[in-house]
Amino acid sequence: MPVRFNETLQEFWRLKVSKVGVAFLTILVFLSIYVVTSYPLDFGVRYWNNPAYWADYPKSAPPSWVNYFSDQKLPEHYVLVYDKPSDIMSTESGRTLLYIFRLDFQADKPPTFISFTLENLTYYSDPPTARLNVKRPDGKDIKLYEYIAPAPYAGESPPYMRFYDIPKRISITGDMSVASALARFLLREYNVSIRPSEVNSIGQHTIVFSVPGPNKEFYVLKGEYIFTISIDTYDPRDNIGKVKLVIGGNVYGFMGTDSLGRDLSIGLLFGFPIALFIGIVTSTITTLLGAGLGIVGGYVGGKVDEVIQRVADFVNNIPLLPLLIFLAFILGQNIWILVFLLVAFGWPTLTIIVRSMVLQLKSSQFIEAAISLGASRLWIMFRHIFPQVAPFVFAQLIFFTPTFILLEAALSFLGLGDPTIPTWGQILEYGFRSGGIYVGLWWWIIPPGLLIIWTAITFVLIALGMEPVVNPRLRRMK
Amino acid sequence: MGLASTLFLRALTLATVLILVVFFIVIILGATGTSDKILQAMVNEEVMMLRQSLAKTIKDPQELERVIDVRRQELMEFYGLTKPWYVRLPDMAWRVLTLDLGKARTLKTFTGGNKVSDIVMERLTNTIILVTSATIISALIGLVLGVRIATKVGGILDRISSYMSAISYAIPTWWIGIILIMVFSFLLRLFPFGGLYSTPPPSDPYLRFLDMLWHSVLPVTTLVVASVGVWVYTTRTIVLNIAQEDFVNAARARGLPEELVRRRYIMRVAAPPILTNVILGLATSISGAILTETVFNWPGLGRLFYDAVLVMDEVVVIALTYIFTLVYIVARFLLEVLYIILDPRVRY
Repeated sequence: MPVRFNETLQEFWRLKVSKVGVAFLTILVFLSIYVVTSYPLDFGVRYWNNPAYWADYPKSAPPSWVNYFSDQKLPEHYVLVYDKPSDIMSTESGRTLLYIFRLDFQADKPPTFISFTLENLTYYSDPPTARLNVKRPDGKDIKLYEYIAPAPYAGESPPYMRFYDIPKRISITGDMSVASALARFLLREYNVSIRPSEVNSIGQHTIVFSVPGPNKEFYVLKGEYIFTISIDTYDPRDNIGKVKLVIGGNVYGFMGTDSLGRDLSIGLLFGFPIALFIGIVTSTITTLLGAGLGIVGGYVGGKVDEVIQRVADFVNNIPLLPLLIFLAFILGQNIWILVFLLVAFGWPTLTIIVRSMVLQLKSSQFIEAAISLGASRLWIMFRHIFPQVAPFVFAQLIFFTPTFILLEAALSFLGLGDPTIPTWGQILEYGFRSGGIYVGLWWWIIPPGLLIIWTAITFVLIALGMEPVVNPRLRRMK
Repeated sequence: MGLASTLFLRALTLATVLILVVFFIVIILGATGTSDKILQAMVNEEVMMLRQSLAKTIKDPQELERVIDVRRQELMEFYGLTKPWYVRLPDMAWRVLTLDLGKARTLKTFTGGNKVSDIVMERLTNTIILVTSATIISALIGLVLGVRIATKVGGILDRISSYMSAISYAIPTWWIGIILIMVFSFLLRLFPFGGLYSTPPPSDPYLRFLDMLWHSVLPVTTLVVASVGVWVYTTRTIVLNIAQEDFVNAARARGLPEELVRRRYIMRVAAPPILTNVILGLATSISGAILTETVFNWPGLGRLFYDAVLVMDEVVVIALTYIFTLVYIVARFLLEVLYIILDPRVRY
């Protein structure tokens, strides 16, 4: 009866489903290890659910590879960062730090926004002035924005430190002074009269990247744009840590972004270890508990068995999801509570099957032999009965795993996921709740679902491969 | 044991389960302090109404406050708020059992009322319509295909069905729904995004019914797609096992027509275990309904559950947990009655 380990492995490996399943699992495990070692522990709170972190990302942008499949090229997203000036000019009053951003713009649509950010500014005398200018492919210059750093407070002594904790982000899009500057520019260069409020509703970024037609329509101007941020400083020691220019695109990265601008590839990657953790940990505890109670109930019998059977029967007779929703709602959304609940509702199925297996084993001769040799009940259950049911229990462990992964995803989808830990279910939930499915944001909706299915299928395949091992009758049939 | 006593015993067991679930719910509510919050809300509601009516007759503000305080104390006494939660366990359990849970915080009935029992009851029909029609359709497909495949074991259809049932085990029902919306509502504009009727609903009852049918195509399809694989596969397996039994071979050897063998000898025996599978699948179809209704904004209990969780309406969540358990247990009982009728062996 007891199956040898090597034989078992061969039997398992013979099937194609097993090979595919194990290959999938290896990929899942490697991705999870990568995430666990490279992501910060507080990823969910600090980055994923922190909208400020994603301010400079394009909102609801499809992956950048969609451009290969469409005639109309959507603009890429550009984040251009300098921590040193590209050039320094001396003037009579001090130095001007120049940050020059060259951008070859070839898309058929204008960008979605323009912003720039100043970080870690230190100055000693007068507050520096920052200017943003752009030189367009048609040779025209636009002075977009001028910003003077906050002056020293009463009683503050140099060096004056600015924007160390919170970087200064200036959005060109939506700024009324930029709108006025652009309205003047249009009137001067093209003799197009347009009110600043109209500029604001068309979008400052659109005007910068296009030429006007006769009826106030705007055509994208392709070619090289040179954005210059020049910072006038009045002391040689004045310094700025980082200057960033963001030209918002319509496409982003490999997986696109959601409506908050979150890079979906980062969130989706984070889902791997979480899904595996919930699936495997919950399944392991559940099967051990279920098998343990089944063995004890079946072997010990009597009152103990009666109690275990009643409880198992009770749990088996209630609808799972409504009670899970109720408990997750009342007890709070936390990953440990979730694992506990899944275990609490998951064990009875296995207990009932294992118990009936143990009842058959109990009367077999080798158990009677062990009893007559004076083995204790605990010893018999652990050394003689458990090894007999172990292959079956292990197969059930694998078989249960996708169930738990799907249950977690379902609860997350209903808004009952742990908010500090982003999961695939939660990504889908936000896509659903914020209406992403009704406007066809497929890159947001399809990948998390496919990943859930892929992870679940991995375990289904392995379980299929284990079936002939656990159930020798099937083996002979092949 | 006769038929009546068998049925009575099953009913008793399931009723016990229901009562145990209710007590379990109430213990959780009590231990987490949620029941205090609910009862306090009921007291506050009554005190507020009293204040409004008394303010007209009692002009002295101090006198008014005194009268209200006395009344509040009486109400606290009446609702058992002066006693610890475990003392009023039976009372709270009775409230859940009779759906006497007061008023929902934000959710309303279609006509604008906010009594919890009304909100829950008016949506029950919509859920039953959705789940039963989906179950009947998948059962029919499952039976027809399953029996056919069982006669051609190892064929292409057989292998496809076994893979499909394995895969359908790994696909979340609600995600299928989302994909159907994206393809058939957003991309092809063939079916509505969700809801029960168009806005405004057609006034003609016949058109109204057609409108509902049109709205139910995608949610029903979702539920069918999610469960049909398992249906086909289990039917196939059960029928296959019976088709290899000796008495079936004996019937064939006697020269009985194949159709008769299939109907009388195979299906008659296969019916009870297939029904057992329906009973086991019931829990899944209820979960499926919660998620599918949510996705399609189908105004049944499932969508209500989602809405209640979203706006943190505790009393509605409690009422729904109870109603879902009740529906599940009643459906289970009905199926078991059918089982006993189909399989005479169970009676004795």
